[in-house]
Amino acid sequence: MDEKDFEEISAQLEQEANLREKLKDEVSKLEQKSRSMQGTMNKIHATPTSQLPRLINTIKPVVESCKEDTRAIASLVPPNTYWKWKYMWAQALQGIVFTLALCKFLEEGTLITLPEVSKTLGVEEEWKGRFTIATEDYLQGIISLVNELSRLAVNAVTLGDFDAPFRISVFVKDLFAGFSLLNLKNDSLRKRFDSLKYDVKRIEEVVYDVSLRKLNTPTAGGDETMS
Amino acid sequence: MMTAEVQSMPGSSSRDGIMGAFDGYREELDEYYDRREALTKVSRDITSLSKKCIFLLHRLMTDPSNKPGNERETSANAAKKGYESMEQIKGLFESISEQLQGNDFWRFQRTVSPGLQEFIEAYGFAYYLEHNALLPYDKMQTYFSNDAGVPYFPLPYSDYLLGISDLTGELMRYAISSVTTRAGRVKAREICDFVRDCRASFEVFAPRIRGMDQKQKTTTSSLRKIEDGKRRAHPPLLSARVPPLTPCQPPMQCRSANTSMPPRPTDWTSS
Repeated sequence: MDEKDFEEISAQLEQEANLREKLKDEVSKLEQKSRSMQGTMNKIHATPTSQLPRLINTIKPVVESCKEDTRAIASLVPPNTYWKWKYMWAQALQGIVFTLALCKFLEEGTLITLPEVSKTLGVEEEWKGRFTIATEDYLQGIISLVNELSRLAVNAVTLGDFDAPFRISVFVKDLFAGFSLLNLKNDSLRKRFDSLKYDVKRIEEVVYDVSLRKLNTPTAGGDETMS
Repeated sequence: MMTAEVQSMPGSSSRDGIMGAFDGYREELDEYYDRREALTKVSRDITSLSKKCIFLLHRLMTDPSNKPGNERETSANAAKKGYESMEQIKGLFESISEQLQGNDFWRFQRTVSPGLQEFIEAYGFAYYLEHNALLPYDKMQTYFSNDAGVPYFPLPYSDYLLGISDLTGELMRYAISSVTTRAGRVKAREICDFVRDCRASFEVFAPRIRGMDQKQKTTTSSLRKIEDGKRRAHPPLLSARVPPLTPCQPPMQCRSANTSMPPRPTDWTSS
């Protein structure tokens, strides 16, 4: 092993460092969008249900523009090194998954699927090995959704929407049942999953309060909580 | 009829959808966890076998029956036996290579990294004994390839550098244990120069590779130990007459206060 070999390795590592810098630039754009969207969506706690569609529409262009960033990242990542670089954008991506899932629930009352997230962000099949949405990142985003919905259950009541806690309760219980199907190991996913039961409990308390005072529209829920 | 009823119940169809989707996620996560666990086990086996190889090399090099003057032959012989016992480890790498193809390599790189580094250390040790030189990256990558020359996986620079950085610690141990013989002192000087070169060459990688900084500190302390060992074993210094230190008399009240202390040797202060 002589100096020339070390120089070769050094040059390769230098190249890698350059790539990391370039990726960092692209990822920071995605990060900014992720944060700004979450900031906007935070307003749901103070927005009457009737005005939610308008609020959601304001972030649609930002969601659309994320496609440019995912494309830019995918074009930078060398083939078959997805898992080497993924840590750089995992958090931003989890935030985006959360936002998309929240919008989908508020609009349609259903869970956004992983393929739907991929499609919304313009992720292409041929990017495999360079950029995909990892299941764990998707699931992390969905756990954030449950955290957020337990807040919304409380705040919707404050804003006079007494049926929202019932819709949220059914949905969150379904999600909880879904997460219970997973055999999680002792990692961050497991820790966050363990926290979900407190969210479920909090929502149940709101549902209990509202039913006790008979504030909800009887057809909207009531018997659903039995299921 | 049945399905219409189910669908009319709000929530039910969405629950089915969610359960179906999560069934898929479970399968995917289970597969990942299972593979990671299996690779962790193999990585641990590789680590422990590599450690055994290193011990074997130490034993062969410091065997009292080694004939003085035959150092080159002893080293070459030790390296050969070392390589032989490494064949088993190579088999383990080959057995997991299928799990580490393409995109999967970087998914499990952290899982196999400890075993990989330990093996590079062992192989680097044998290589040093054989060639008196540092194991080149290309040689290591070639070793991790099948007969057709297809690599089992792309050897990361970080694992290579961190592995050979650990080698300096083993060389330190070898240098210290052999410093008591005349040939060993020559050897210790060689190793000392070698480790010093390694330390200098690795310095540029410290900011680029996570963990390198810590390794450099260890290498520095190994280097100091070899230098100290060399100095202590150096004949001129050993034979030099160093005047004995004269201990100063402890204060009187101190001695009387502690009467239970055993009496001091009488010739202590007289010399």
